[in-house]
Formats: sequence, C-alpha cells, structure tokens
Amino acid sequence: MIRMVIESRLENVSLIGGAVRGIAENLSIDSMGSYHLELCVVEAVTNVIKHAYHLEAGHSVELEILIQTDRLTFKVNDSGDSMDISKISSLQFDPSNVKTLPERGMGTFILKSLMDEVGYEIVKGRNVLTMSKSIKTRAPSA
Amino acid sequence: MQVNEKKISGVLVVEPLGARIDAATATDFKQKMNEWINTGNRRIVLNLAKVDFMDSSGLGAVISALKKIGNKGKIVICCIKETVMSLFHLTRMDRVFDIFSSEEEALKAFGEKV
Repeated sequence: MIRMVIESRLENVSLIGGAVRGIAENLSIDSMGSYHLELCVVEAVTNVIKHAYHLEAGHSVELEILIQTDRLTFKVNDSGDSMDISKISSLQFDPSNVKTLPERGMGTFILKSLMDEVGYEIVKGRNVLTMSKSIKTRAPSA
Repeated sequence: MQVNEKKISGVLVVEPLGARIDAATATDFKQKMNEWINTGNRRIVLNLAKVDFMDSSGLGAVISALKKIGNKGKIVICCIKETVMSLFHLTRMDRVFDIFSSEEEALKAFGEKV
C-alpha cells in the first residue's frame, strides 16, 4: 500500500497526479489507462480541495493506493465538508446549444465513468472516497 | 500559465506551453482567453500540441471561452493528444468543438490559405 498526503493547495494536485501516472506506468499499464487513472485521482483530490475544504489551504488530503495483481484501489480521504456524489450520473447538455454546456461539475461524472467502482462514506469523522479499477499488470518476475 | 499567441491572417492561434491545464492553471488560462475575446478576437485556434494533461477544470475553461465568444465568433481546436482527446470524447465535448489534427487544417476551417 502506498500512502501520500498533500496540503490542500491546487498546485499540489499535479504532484499526486504525477505519482499516480508513474505508478501506473511502472505497472506497465498503457498510456491511456495511466492517463485515466491519473485523471480520476486528480478529479477526486481537486474535488476535496474545492468542495470539502473550499480552497482553504492548511488541511490534509490523503491518498492511499492499494495495488493488487488485478486491481488498483484509491482511497481519498479528508476532514472537510462531506459531499454527495450520488446524484451525478450523466452530463445533460445539447451539443448544438452553447448555453447548455457545463463549465463545472464534470469531475464526479468522469470518476464514475472511468472507474469500475466508486463509493463514498464517512468513517470516524473523515470523508472517504474509494475508487477501484481492474487492471492487467506485468506478471511478477521469477 | 505561459501561452504562445500569434496572428495568422486575422486568426488568433493560441498555444498553451505548459503540459497541464488543470485546476491550478485553468483560472489563469480562462482569464487569458477572456482577454483575447474582450479585445476583439473572434476567430481563435486553440493548439493543444504541448498539453499532456487536461482535467475537467481545464476543459471547463475551454468551454467557458466558447460560451463567451458565443455567436460572435468561433473557437476551434487542433493537435490534441490521444489521451486528452479521450476526455473530450468521454464528456461528449468532441461533438461541441471542431477538432483538427493540425494547425494548418484548423486555419483552413476559417478559410485561411496556409
């Protein structure tokens, strides 16, 4: 298990993203798969900073990564305001009508679309977002 | 964020030089796009050749520019990496934007001889 903690600053999110992409590439996940994993973690961590902590610095955002032979699980946890991710399941807009295009609120939709499982719970006063994705990794060397 | 800009026959070509358009850089990018539109640029090519990573915040900034220019002009996109393109496809924004494989093709869309 890998655990990372960043301060709740948006400029720190790319550090988490780079680490996730590096881990994915080290597991021989292809570039598209690596990008999608980085994207999901970045969206989750950004959501925490924006919505749980309201862009206030000085708080901790924790990421745990559990690496299994056929699955990657990410847990993002924080001590900020809880979020409701249950409602967001699709992006509703008319591609021919610019006024209907969303400018925000796409992050949770992206997570749910790309990850196999997404769950959110409050555990001992901390919000925990859990995302998992089945993967094919390089077989362990003999 | 650093952005390269050039005018080709009245078309503004904007090329972000940073590899990421994400929550940390999207606000700055959006402000720059707003400034260009506010100063009268109505035909814009957004060249994403150097962008390795975009998230929903970055995409939102691009959408914001499109909404700002509205019926007064047009923004087209070129040179998107395959990975970043998957974000446009996932969110169906590939149905909203005209996306070209090269800057040359994007300029032709405005009827410009290259």
